[in-house]
Amino acid sequence: MHEPRHGTVQLHLEARAPFLPVVTQFVESAASLFGLARTESLKLSLATEEIFLHLCGAVCAGEQLETACQDGLYYTRVLFRFHAPQLNLKGLNIASDSAKDGQCDLDEMGLMIASRSVDRLHLTEEKGHRICLAVTMEKVYPRFSEQLPRPAAPAGVSVEEPDRERVKRFALLAGRFSPERDRPPFFAYPGKVADMVAGGEYRCLTAISQKREIVGGIIFSGRSERIVQFHGPYLFSEGEQIAAADALLTALIASIARTKALGLLSLAGLPKALEPQFEHLGSLPPSTAEGPGGGVSFFFRHLHEDPGAEVWVPADLTVWLTGEYDRLVLARQIRTVQAMGETRLGASLFAAEIVRERAEATLRPLWPGADLAANVARHVRYLQADGLTTLLFEIDLGLPWHAELIPVLMANGFTPALLLPFAGQADLVIFQHHDATES
Amino acid sequence: MTQPNLESLVPAYVREFEPYIPSRPDPELMKLYGCARLYRLNNNENPLGPPPGAQEVIRRFPPPQGAVYPSGDSYYLRQELGAVHGVDPGQILVGNGANEVIAFVIKAFCEQGDNIVTADKTFAVYEWVAVFSGIEARVIPLKDEGFDDAAMLAAIDPRTKILFVCNPNNPTGSYWTRERLRGFLAAVGGRRIVVVDEAYCEFVEQEDFPNGISLLGEYPNLVVFRTFSKMYGLAALRIGYLVGAPEVVDMIRRTCVVYSVNRIAQEAALAALKDDTGHIRRTRALVRTSRTFLRGELAKMGLPVIAGEGNYLIAKLPLSDTLAYRKLMREGIMIRPMTGFRCPNHIRITLAGQEAMEACVAALKKILP
Repeated sequence: MHEPRHGTVQLHLEARAPFLPVVTQFVESAASLFGLARTESLKLSLATEEIFLHLCGAVCAGEQLETACQDGLYYTRVLFRFHAPQLNLKGLNIASDSAKDGQCDLDEMGLMIASRSVDRLHLTEEKGHRICLAVTMEKVYPRFSEQLPRPAAPAGVSVEEPDRERVKRFALLAGRFSPERDRPPFFAYPGKVADMVAGGEYRCLTAISQKREIVGGIIFSGRSERIVQFHGPYLFSEGEQIAAADALLTALIASIARTKALGLLSLAGLPKALEPQFEHLGSLPPSTAEGPGGGVSFFFRHLHEDPGAEVWVPADLTVWLTGEYDRLVLARQIRTVQAMGETRLGASLFAAEIVRERAEATLRPLWPGADLAANVARHVRYLQADGLTTLLFEIDLGLPWHAELIPVLMANGFTPALLLPFAGQADLVIFQHHDATES
Repeated sequence: MTQPNLESLVPAYVREFEPYIPSRPDPELMKLYGCARLYRLNNNENPLGPPPGAQEVIRRFPPPQGAVYPSGDSYYLRQELGAVHGVDPGQILVGNGANEVIAFVIKAFCEQGDNIVTADKTFAVYEWVAVFSGIEARVIPLKDEGFDDAAMLAAIDPRTKILFVCNPNNPTGSYWTRERLRGFLAAVGGRRIVVVDEAYCEFVEQEDFPNGISLLGEYPNLVVFRTFSKMYGLAALRIGYLVGAPEVVDMIRRTCVVYSVNRIAQEAALAALKDDTGHIRRTRALVRTSRTFLRGELAKMGLPVIAGEGNYLIAKLPLSDTLAYRKLMREGIMIRPMTGFRCPNHIRITLAGQEAMEACVAALKKILP
């Protein structure tokens, strides 16, 4: 994949509260420069304020703190980088209960405000035990559903990387002629799709007929360092479409075949004719919102020889996992983890990605803690109360501490649903929540 | 401790280059896939090994000589190569495998802003070395499984410095005849370097297949690559070479790392050249037999085959080639999935001994849907 074309500005200072106006002014100026509208810019600034004050007070007081603003073209991201002996960012959980029963912890309340102000939250430990906390605010784009006519069946197709205008037309066509469950919500915002591609995080290929009409397209991006995730191919013309689908897939593979990407992942449906070229990972049962017949099959294919991997799981999961590795013919060294009475400190943190259109929430663990069971239960309650019916939890088998969550998830109504090879540091397992009332 | 600022230290074209991760050693792979024996049909190695004389050199290398530097420019080997090919030894540069001589040539002729032209489905190292050196690689789609001379010529612009042609092509086995190669060289003229990589030339038995070295007198912009890794079975020792016009080689020599070829490799290569036991004849016979056998068996299975020259062939599968790789590994068969060559759903199989070919066929029958 191409390296995204991020413009980044940085601010280095000590984590001290009097510097707050400097930091918020810096973020507001950068967000404005990067094209974020006033409302979103203020939300990002608010989140920055709360996080900065929390870092100054409880995390790395007086220590060096790097604040960076990154322009992703369709979003602005603020990154805080710091060293901390201990980390408690409990308030950033979407299900934080800091205001519960009227006992308001102002510090945690600030973090809760921050997490609910932004679109995305990310936390990683970088080299040298430096922590990077990132919050992302996306631009707001107008929704379009222009009724472009269906192109005629092509006699032959060529594949090309479209310019901005053709990316927008592709998005409009995909929005009109592909099933809703097979396309991500961003297709309703053609301007956003154009910026996602122009920003370099996504790439797009279109199939063009001899009459220069767009008869199909595919969009893809790096999901992890080693996995490219794609949506499509979407096909718009009448009649025979296999040639266009095949040409798009071949062009996609050719463009990444000599990169370090190990695999190609489809989480949004695949034309039937292309299925033999992939491995069927499974499907998630349809959500209540989608009704019967909903749900999408997930497909994968390696791009190179499988290098094998080491995965960490508790004994509870080894039977299911061994079965999946055998079915998918993946070579793995399974390492069993077991709690042996060691001490756990601090509060855990999960990121929540919500797709309202599908009443779906995906949780991802960001930081370990002593409260895993309580935090999982709290998130389930909170998300269900918010009307979300499909609850997913992603566990990265390459991170031993994630394995500690597996018994907790299983005790809270989650079961393993899908294995995504190399979609994290190693493979990801997606757990799906089943309500106790489900049969 | 302060971390180095890699953003400013490393050129963007290096930062953005995706490093190639070689597969794990055989014992590790066998452990991973749970197979008790492994037929290596992925790297086009010669199952007969090196010629007997070269084997003897390897066996008899005196351990104390491990402390002594080898000839820095493979002096005796170049003398012999010069005699074999009828060229001056000064027209030859020996490298640590043909991969190293690719780097010599690109470093000698290209600077940032320049480009090279080659094919999309060919040996990847021309493209890799160019890209991580900050040079654009223009990869031209194959036509009828072969290098498309017209399209390559059309891709030339004022910043094109080198055109790489793999003859016969790895992986498709297609080749340019003498006439076609001459036509291409004439069309390019003297304004660019044309590299003809003949890594697999010793396997070709067609009469119209050109010996690139014989054309050097007519085309002084021609550089020919050869290797000892394939026909001569010295892949483990890493030794290859290039031959060109004296003035051209004199320029390439400036970017050539001396002492990079070890003494065992030099002496084994020398012995391989002097082989009089019929090593090439035996290898060709084995490849011929295996090609006929495997082609027939694959046809019976209904698998389309691309079988040209070289000690390999390609089969098209009704499933993902990388899934086939994993399933075949469980059966103890290691082939080359071709997605990395931009040929998804194809596998390349080395033409090896009968036992290995029969094991490969049996495994394929077992894994195909």
